[in-house]
Amino acid sequence: MTTLTTRTAAPTTQERATSKPRRHGARWAAVAFVAPLVIYLLLFYAYPLAQNLSMSLHRFDRGTFINGGAPFVGTEIYQDVVEHPRFWTIVRQTTVFTAASLVFQYLIGLALAVFFHRGGFRLAAPLRAMFLVPWLLPIIVSGTTWQWMMNPDDGILNSFIGLFGADPVWWLSADNALMSVAIANIWLGIPFNLVILYSGLQGIPKELYEAASMDGATPWQQFWRITLPMLRPVSLITLLLGLVYTLKVVDIIWIMTLGTGTSQTLATWAYGMSVGKGASAIIRYSEASAVGTILLLAALAFGLIYIAAQRKQED
Amino acid sequence: MTNKTMRRCLAAGAAVTMGALAACSGGTPEPGESGNASEGSTTAEIAFWDPYPQHTEGSAWDEHVKSCAPDGSTIVRTSAPQTDLFNQLTTAVKEGGAPDVVLLDNPMMPEAVGAEMLATAEQAGIDTTGVDENLIGPGVVDGTAYGVPFGSNALGLYYNVDLLAEAGVDPASITDWDSLTAAMEQVAADGGKGITFSGVTGEEGVFQFLPWFWGAGADLSDITSDEAVAAGQLLSDWIGEGLAPRSAATDNQSAAWDLFLTGEYAFAENGSWFASAAAEADFEVGVIPIPAKDGGVAPVPTGGEFAVAPIQTEDASDHYANASAVIACLTEGEAAFQTNETLGYLSAKPEVRADQADQSPLWEPWVSAVEGAQGRTTELGSEYVDVSASLSGAIQAAINAEGDQAAVEAAFQDAGGF
Repeated sequence: MTTLTTRTAAPTTQERATSKPRRHGARWAAVAFVAPLVIYLLLFYAYPLAQNLSMSLHRFDRGTFINGGAPFVGTEIYQDVVEHPRFWTIVRQTTVFTAASLVFQYLIGLALAVFFHRGGFRLAAPLRAMFLVPWLLPIIVSGTTWQWMMNPDDGILNSFIGLFGADPVWWLSADNALMSVAIANIWLGIPFNLVILYSGLQGIPKELYEAASMDGATPWQQFWRITLPMLRPVSLITLLLGLVYTLKVVDIIWIMTLGTGTSQTLATWAYGMSVGKGASAIIRYSEASAVGTILLLAALAFGLIYIAAQRKQED
Repeated sequence: MTNKTMRRCLAAGAAVTMGALAACSGGTPEPGESGNASEGSTTAEIAFWDPYPQHTEGSAWDEHVKSCAPDGSTIVRTSAPQTDLFNQLTTAVKEGGAPDVVLLDNPMMPEAVGAEMLATAEQAGIDTTGVDENLIGPGVVDGTAYGVPFGSNALGLYYNVDLLAEAGVDPASITDWDSLTAAMEQVAADGGKGITFSGVTGEEGVFQFLPWFWGAGADLSDITSDEAVAAGQLLSDWIGEGLAPRSAATDNQSAAWDLFLTGEYAFAENGSWFASAAAEADFEVGVIPIPAKDGGVAPVPTGGEFAVAPIQTEDASDHYANASAVIACLTEGEAAFQTNETLGYLSAKPEVRADQADQSPLWEPWVSAVEGAQGRTTELGSEYVDVSASLSGAIQAAINAEGDQAAVEAAFQDAGGF
């Protein structure tokens, strides 16, 4: 978003610069109008980003953070991070967490949206409202509740699967933690997908379905040939927003497992290091900044892919 | 500067930081070098930070702190959890707006001193006489004290009197690991459960693990030793045999205590700060010291905070005078007793501790635990945090191993890294 806005602002000033001298007053007025936005962007976007980058290039500890004098080490910190024995494991876990969250949130959200959109179901409105609950609850509440439900000794989930004769699962053990936090995160993301996809469905003209049914298209064909293609722009933006959000999820994971075992993602790793929480009480300002930058680049890459996909669609 | 000091300074500077080098230059003093409580006077507002958000405004602790304001001053108290408090203090010192007094968790002391965040006790006019050596240990760096511990808590083994009696276990017979585990098995055979403890990732879980670690004869300088593995195996077996809950991997000490209060568990490894809560439980609760592997009492880590004065850049002497007055009030005379009773701590001074034990039978079993406690950072100094992080990873892995010996061994041998 940042790049887009500044890009449109820049040519404007250029145009004004080449225009006739008597329009000087107007030029200053334009600058005055643009200034607050530019100052805002510099102060709240560019400056923190630059600080983050600078921190990842200097070796900070608590002492140098306070008293200054952190030595410049170039890309050494990035090397440390990438060569960390668990780096690729954490990248893989982040990928699995993000991919699983996106796929299931989208599929379940879409199924529910189509279900509610078809209507003819008396309880649709209150039910739809109920599906928004995960969105409205503070994450500290839902996270704690999930942790409690997934209690390995007497949790309600284990009692439930016990009814079908299944053995109790140690949901938050080191090995299962990734699956468990993904389940909680999927639950958390369904309302977002439901709401956006539902409004996308409302934007599809009814005539298309009427024409299709007159031509004898089955509901299944209607879904594949009309609903999905018409939903494509909305789906794309839903998935992109979901991706950016999921990449940086810390809260739900942290509340449930403190990022232990397989539930460690790049975001929880960076968070733990930046505040000295989790296993190690040492603040690792520089390493955290480096991981933060890597996350930013990943999000940016997907943002660019989205823009490319959108362009292709428009052509 | 003589040649000798010069050489010493260069060596120290090379070894430590730029700051140490600058401190040796002798010309303009470092910000932290200036100011002395004896040259300042107390100000109208005194900022006081502590890690007890559970003691809200108007609580006994809150009132007690505020009653320690010198004449003409008011104390403004702010609370945040341990780590957050330390991080906020870091920023505050950096920005030059640190509070007058902070209560800092004892294992954080070496790092705070290393980062030049604290004034020396001498500078801030903090009296450290009469405090037990094992308790002040974490606050002494290179022979200089940086604050004073007002009290200490310790870990012990709470037990459910009724459950043990029903299972026919005599608490006095629990003197080593084998007899402890046997007692749990006996209660389990009777339909009860064994023990609750906190194995949560981070310092809290390590704090709870150290009595077993030290009790096995392990040493923090080598956490890969056979003794260390034995301690991990003990917890791992409890989980594997169902004597301890799997949720120990995520339970903090409060959660572990709540589990014990359900009345289903025979034992709880927990802190002296729950002593008064234990007296009010629905069942009768007793306490025994944590046994060492082959008998005797295991050393427990010292718990509790230091009262410290952060380094000030402006009006340092006045801030230190504030710290001196408030800390003296909290740690000396009649109020020292009150400070510890309000927090559920035992005083760091033997005579006050004796008073506490005299007045309440609750404290009797805890006195020896506090007196035999070891500082976590006393041996390793600021390196402790790294060791603790590795140990935390190993504890988590051991709990997850559910008794699997190879996995426990690997957990301790692979421990390390951030």
